[in-house]
Formats: sequence, structure tokens, C-alpha cells
Amino acid sequence: MKRGGRVWSWFWMILGIIYFFLPLVATFIFSLRAQKGILSFLAYQQLFNDSGFITGFSYSVLWGILTIIVGILIFVPTAYWVRLRAPQFRTAVEFITLLPFVIPAIVFVFGLVRTFSHPPFLIVNSPALLVAGYTVLSMPYMYRSIDTGLRSIDVRTLTEAAQSLGAGWATILFRIILPNIRVAILSGAFLSFAIVMGEYILAQYLAKPAFAPFLAYLIQEKAYEPAAATVISFALTWACMGIINLFGRGQQAQIAGGH
Amino acid sequence: MTHLTLSNISKQFAETAAVQDFNLEVEKGEFVSFLGPSGCGKTTTLRMIAGFEIPTTGTVTIDDADITNKAPNQRNVGMVFQAYALFPNMSVAQNIGFGMQIHRESKAAVKQRVEEMLALIHLEKKGNSYPYQLSGGQQQRVALARALANRPQVLLLDEPLSALDAKIRVQLRAEIRAIQRKLGITAIYVTHDQEEALSISDRIVVMYEGKIEQVGTPFEIYNFPQTSFVANFVGTLNTTVAEVVDPVKRLLRIDGVQLESSEVMDGKQKGDKVTIAIRPERFNFVAQERKANVLDCQIDNITFLGSVVRIQLLIGSNRFYMDTFNNPFLELPKIGDKAQISCSREAVLVLKD
Amino acid sequence: MTTLNSVKRDAPLARPAPHKMSFVWLGVTPFFLFAFIFLLYPSSTIAIKSFENTTTGAFTINNFVHLLQNPNLVNAYWISIKISLITSIGGGIFGFLLAYSAIRGGLPPFMRTSLMTFCGVASNFAGVPLAFAFIALLSPSGVLTGWLRSVGYNPYFHGFQLYTFWGLSMVYMYFQFPLMVLVISPAIDGLRREWLEAAENLGASTFQYWRYVALPILLPSIMGTMILLFGNSFGAFATAQALTGGSINLVTIMIGAQLRGDVLGDAGLGYALALGMVVVMAVAIAGYTLLQRQSERWLR
Repeated sequence: MKRGGRVWSWFWMILGIIYFFLPLVATFIFSLRAQKGILSFLAYQQLFNDSGFITGFSYSVLWGILTIIVGILIFVPTAYWVRLRAPQFRTAVEFITLLPFVIPAIVFVFGLVRTFSHPPFLIVNSPALLVAGYTVLSMPYMYRSIDTGLRSIDVRTLTEAAQSLGAGWATILFRIILPNIRVAILSGAFLSFAIVMGEYILAQYLAKPAFAPFLAYLIQEKAYEPAAATVISFALTWACMGIINLFGRGQQAQIAGGH
Repeated sequence: MTHLTLSNISKQFAETAAVQDFNLEVEKGEFVSFLGPSGCGKTTTLRMIAGFEIPTTGTVTIDDADITNKAPNQRNVGMVFQAYALFPNMSVAQNIGFGMQIHRESKAAVKQRVEEMLALIHLEKKGNSYPYQLSGGQQQRVALARALANRPQVLLLDEPLSALDAKIRVQLRAEIRAIQRKLGITAIYVTHDQEEALSISDRIVVMYEGKIEQVGTPFEIYNFPQTSFVANFVGTLNTTVAEVVDPVKRLLRIDGVQLESSEVMDGKQKGDKVTIAIRPERFNFVAQERKANVLDCQIDNITFLGSVVRIQLLIGSNRFYMDTFNNPFLELPKIGDKAQISCSREAVLVLKD
Repeated sequence: MTTLNSVKRDAPLARPAPHKMSFVWLGVTPFFLFAFIFLLYPSSTIAIKSFENTTTGAFTINNFVHLLQNPNLVNAYWISIKISLITSIGGGIFGFLLAYSAIRGGLPPFMRTSLMTFCGVASNFAGVPLAFAFIALLSPSGVLTGWLRSVGYNPYFHGFQLYTFWGLSMVYMYFQFPLMVLVISPAIDGLRREWLEAAENLGASTFQYWRYVALPILLPSIMGTMILLFGNSFGAFATAQALTGGSINLVTIMIGAQLRGDVLGDAGLGYALALGMVVVMAVAIAGYTLLQRQSERWLR
């Protein structure tokens, strides 16, 4: 673009930067106002002393880790298998992994609650359902990440080489394939983690302790602690994305739900 | 009166001098190639004519009008890009007619011209096709037609054939030359393929590291290279260092063997070291014809290349190539044999550097 | 069985013997089982139950009829569509301008990487935390409100309200335009520099280049992404819930209310509402996919 065009570029960028940073700055400033008259970290102190926060945050971390583990256990073998031995299932699998985009979280949890609150499947109160739900939500990103990772390594040749040396399926998967798609898995894992940490709908309507419902409650009850919690939430998302960027060599950053 | 003049052109990018001291005068209707390896500055120079780069120093003049600082959309030079650059959202006919549409010509005029162009490039039936439906060669012809439809003063081609198969390249370059001749349009053609440049140009500008090495007709460039770069880049060449024995009598010595050259050696003195070059096809066996220079050699390797037989031989410590036409009834020496070869005085070139 | 062994040896990649087929199935079974139990079955429950009469269980389309007759629900669809249209078009345009500025606007290259990183984070920063961030910014006791008042301008005196449709739209933009930036960037990358140069070479001004070349080429991508943004906004729940406490009438809010307690008084209606939502989303995703395919053909 020529000289005149550059002015406009700066204009839009600055506008974007302002719009992006204003709410964050405001939240941060707000979080420092707990003590009348001066800026302090009182809100943060109160937050960390709040058992609700500790519970909610820890549980979300737990759900996140469990989701990642379940995701790896299910999606890595599947993606590997589809690529190597069962390409005829490719379209079906990819269609399923894209369904969470078509079914918004609120509708999804609606279905989950209605389906699983009647016998014989009365598991609506079990944490397993929550983790399963989260795994479904993270599926588009986790599966796609793993698939991209597999695409960049020659799965067929590696498998054949391992087989010729006497390795069985488990060995191949865990000692050869998995280590070589580490980056892709980590990328998907951090994205899933960010999604779970910020997820409100599933936790709220399946009545499980989590960070986002706690934050919603906090907004109703307290004035300044929600700001501190929001800052923490944002810093966490930022950290996850930052780590993903460190891995991803210019891959398009992915977009999460949870809204 | 020259049609296109580049005067004292140079282009500086940060710390690199992409082009330096470029001076060229092109006649109307001339087909000039810029030939050189990657990074020699040929594309940069072309882009300065097109207006996509502004020269750091110097001027570009077309028909006595200084266009050095004119915006690219006001120069009326037609450019054919290496990657065709056809607009994917437009049909072939719309692509070709785009320039005229911008200049607000009447629909009828555009239609007629598009038909003319399609006939010129032999794609009459493809007017309504889209670029992705055409082969590489067809797309390049459309790109050519699009550039010509606008009636430009100068046609610029930036390595237009390097993305195509070898066979298509040979066919298309002849077509391009034929069209250029027919229209009588001045053309500048950038390439790194010396065979391409030799076969279709009126004149060649050989470039290296931003500077002009030599300007001349294909005949001159090939047979009388002036620098070792030109000699090595264009065709195969035998080069070695020789010692001047007598500058007046034009005698040189390599490895104890004396050679006579027809080159003028002003400024050289006995004992000076110079680089000499001899084309492989200028040698022949003494048994066939004895010329001014005779050299003893040993046959190192014989390669059969079809119409040409390439013989690798050792003259003292120098490894030379000799090309001779394939003749099934001529008995060639065997590997390891000793032989005598000869070449004329004119075949011994003395290079400037 | 011995006849099988005496068959002449085929090439290694020939059709596998029957018993190998079941082996192949095994590899993808866990996935399909998981997907069926936790995704397909609950989703189909919604679809099926929406065509069921709540009391008798017989097949009926009355649920949908009642939906269309209920002014509250129709209004919810209308408002959801309205906010999705506004934020997808607004967010789409702004996101496009931002992406183009960073990629082709002549800005230093670190701006592009920074923008992509920010957008990756911002598109994730939705739901409850985002709602609160805007509360902290523009509520009556918000930071920006306070700052504006200190220079003599009170937005609330001029009719500004945060917990309304327009306030929510503003908040939605926060995750819409980053999504646009992220998705449209590859398309902008695909806009080859030679097209600009070829157009200039043929005499086109910048405006003409945009009008005849760049925008037509980018249009499928832009439209497709805007449709994606539409779906994104249509299905959003947590942000609206956290910001307005459920006071705004959106389809997602209605479904949430129905979940908490049967506010509609008719379970079948709830299912119809949910299915209606899925239909809208499916149409959006289908539209996006089709347009993507079209643009890929040109931007190869």
C-alpha cells in the first residue's frame, strides 16, 4: 500500500488496540480499588482467601486435565487409525468432530441433561458426564490439532519401520507416534485447557464446581473481587495462548467457544 | 533515436546494491534479453522500467519522455509476470479486456480487440473459460494477450516461461518472438536460461551481481565473451590461466605448450598472467585438419551425447572438453590414448579479467 | 480353509481377507462409541422429542406451531438474529480492515504477529469474564464512565445503557472481530501481490483494483466468515447471561431458562426451540463451508 494507505492502516490498528485493551485495563484498575482511596491488591487477597475461588479454580484445573487425558486417549489412536488403516471413515469422523460447532453449548447441555437425568442413564450428577461433555466441546480443536500433527509426519513409514523391528500397536502408538506429535498434542491440550477453564454453561447446568460459575456468582455478590478473578482468568488464557504460540510455527491460532 | 533509454540506473536496498551503473539504449521494435543468474539484478531493473521500483539514481526514458518517477498505472508498459497473475475472478476475455475497460473504451472496441488478441494467441474458443480451467502454457498466452491488448509502448516479460515444462517453453518462446515481430513492439525479456536468450533475442544484456557484464548480439556474446563470467555462463567453456610470451606476436604459454591467439594484447607484457578461453567445439583432431595451434593431450573420458560426442582430455595439468560431431564412421581414440588436437588462432580468447 | 492358502500370492496391498475388516473397525470403535453416547444420542433426543407430544408421546409438529404462535419466542429469534446480523457485519468489516492493515497495510511485520496473538486470546476471552470486563469499563461505576464524567460527559445522561441490546452488541464485538481477523487472514495472504501489480500495470487506480479485482476475489471468504460470525453470535449464551442476568430475550437465554425450570410450561416447546437453533447453526455452517470452497478455488 502506498503512503496514504499506510495512514489508514495505522488508524484501524490503533482503533483495534484501543478497543482491545480498554476493557482489560479497566478491569485491572477496577480490581485495585477494593480499598477506598488507594490502589491496592486487597481484592486479590480476599479472592485467594475465598474458599469458593479455591474450590472453583482447582476443580476447573482438574476438569481441564481430565479432559486433556481423555481426549488424548480417544483421539490420538482414532486419528492415527483413520489416517493409516481406515481412511474410509475419514469423512464420518471429520463430520462428527465439526458437530460441536453446529450444536451450541447451551443446546448441547440441554440434550445432556434431558437424556441423562432419567434412568437407566441417570448419570447427570456424575463428574464423568461433565468431563465427557468437555471432551466433546474440545473435540474440534483437539482432534484437528492431532490430525494436523499426524499429517506432518510420515505415519505409514514410521509404523512399517517399527513393525519390521517387532513393535506391537501399543508400542508404536506410545513410543513412536505420540512423541513425534508432541507439539500438536500440546497445542490442542492448551487450547482445550483454556476452553475448560473459561467454560460456564456445562458446569453451571450440570451443577458442578468450576471457575466460571463461581465468577458469575461473585459478580452478583461482590464488587471488586470479580475484577481480580477476571484479571486472573485473562492472564491464564493469555498464558495458554502464549505457550501455544511458542509451539505453533505460525499456524493459525484457533478459536474457542465458551461464550 | 532510441525508443527506451536507461541512463545511469542504480538501485540500493538497505546495504545491498541490487543494480549499479546500468546504461542501455534500446531501439524501437528490438527484442532485448536480460540474462543472468538469480540475484543479478535483472528483475529489479525490469521492475524499474515498469514502475514497481523507483531507481535510486538515474532515469528511464521512453520516446523521449522521462518516466522515472511516474506511477506504474500511468506508464503504458505491458508486463507479463512469471506467475501469470491472471485475475481468477474474471474470464479470459474479461482479463484481456481489463486494461481497455479501465481506460473507458467502448464495449464494441473492447470486444473487437479481445477477439483479435484471442486469435493472435490461438485461443479463440477459450474466451469464456476461467484461468483455473487452463493449462500453464495457455494461462501465460492469456497473460501475454492481456498485456498487449492495452497497446503498450514497451512489452516487459519477467521470466515468463520458467514455470512451464521444457517442451512448452521451447514452443512458447518461439510464439512470443513471432508475435513481438509481427506487432513490431519493443520488448525486454528477463531470463536465467541462456539457451532461451540466445535463441530469441536481438541483443542480450548479461548481468552479474547488479552490473552489466556485456551487451551484444547472441553471436557476439557466445563467440566473443569479454569476461570470464560471460564465457562461463553462456555455453560450455574451457578456461585456464596462461602466461604471456610475446604481446606483439600474441603468443601465450600454458604448461610448456605455446599457443598463438588472434586477440589484441595491448597493455600486456611478457610474463603477465591472463585467462584464456577456448570453446569445446573449436577443437579437432590433427588427423582431420591441422590448424595453427597443436596440443598434445591424453584422452580421459568419452561421453556420447547423441549428436555430439564430448571428449574430456588432459593437456598437461589442464582438464579440457572437446566437442565433436557424432560420425559413426570416424574412429575415435580410446580412453588413455595419447592424441594431438588443434585449434585456430581465433579460437583462443583472452578474457578481460 | 486350505484353499485360501493355495490361492496365488497377491500384491501386499491387495484387498484384505475378511477377518482383517473387523480389525479395522476396532480401531475407530472407541471414538464412534464415545461420540454416539455423549454427542449423537443426546442431540437426536432433542430432535426426536421436539416432534413428540409431551403428554402422549405421539408424533406431532405442534411444538413448532406453538413456537411460531408464541410472540415471546418469535421475538427471541428475532432479537437473536438481529444481534447476530449486527455483530457479524460490524465485526466482519472491522476485523477485515484490521487484518488487511496488519498484513498488507505497510505496517511493520511485528504488528501482524502481535495482532494474531491478541486475536487468539481475545476470541477465547468470552463468556463471564468478558461480561464483567465491560461492566468494569462502562457500568455506572465503571472506570471509563468515571473518567468521562470527570471531563464533563456522562454517557448515561445521553441515553447510554450497558445492560441492553446495544450494550450486549458492543460486548459481542469483542470476540467477533478477532474471529474475523483469524479466519480471513489466510484469504488476505492468498491475495497475490502480482494481481495488484498486474492491475496497476494495466492502468487501474487503487480504487479500481479493489472494485474489480481484490474485493470480488475476497468476497466469498468475507461472506463465508461473516456467516461463521453470525453462527458464533447466535449460539452465544454465557456472555449475555452474565451481562444482563437473563433479562434480554435471546433464544439461548430462553433455552437456559427452560433448563433451569420449565418456564415455557411445555417441555415439547423447549425441544422445538433447541432444534430450531441447531437448524439455524447448520445452515450457517453449510453456507460458510460452501463459500470457503468457492474462494479456495480462486486463491489456490
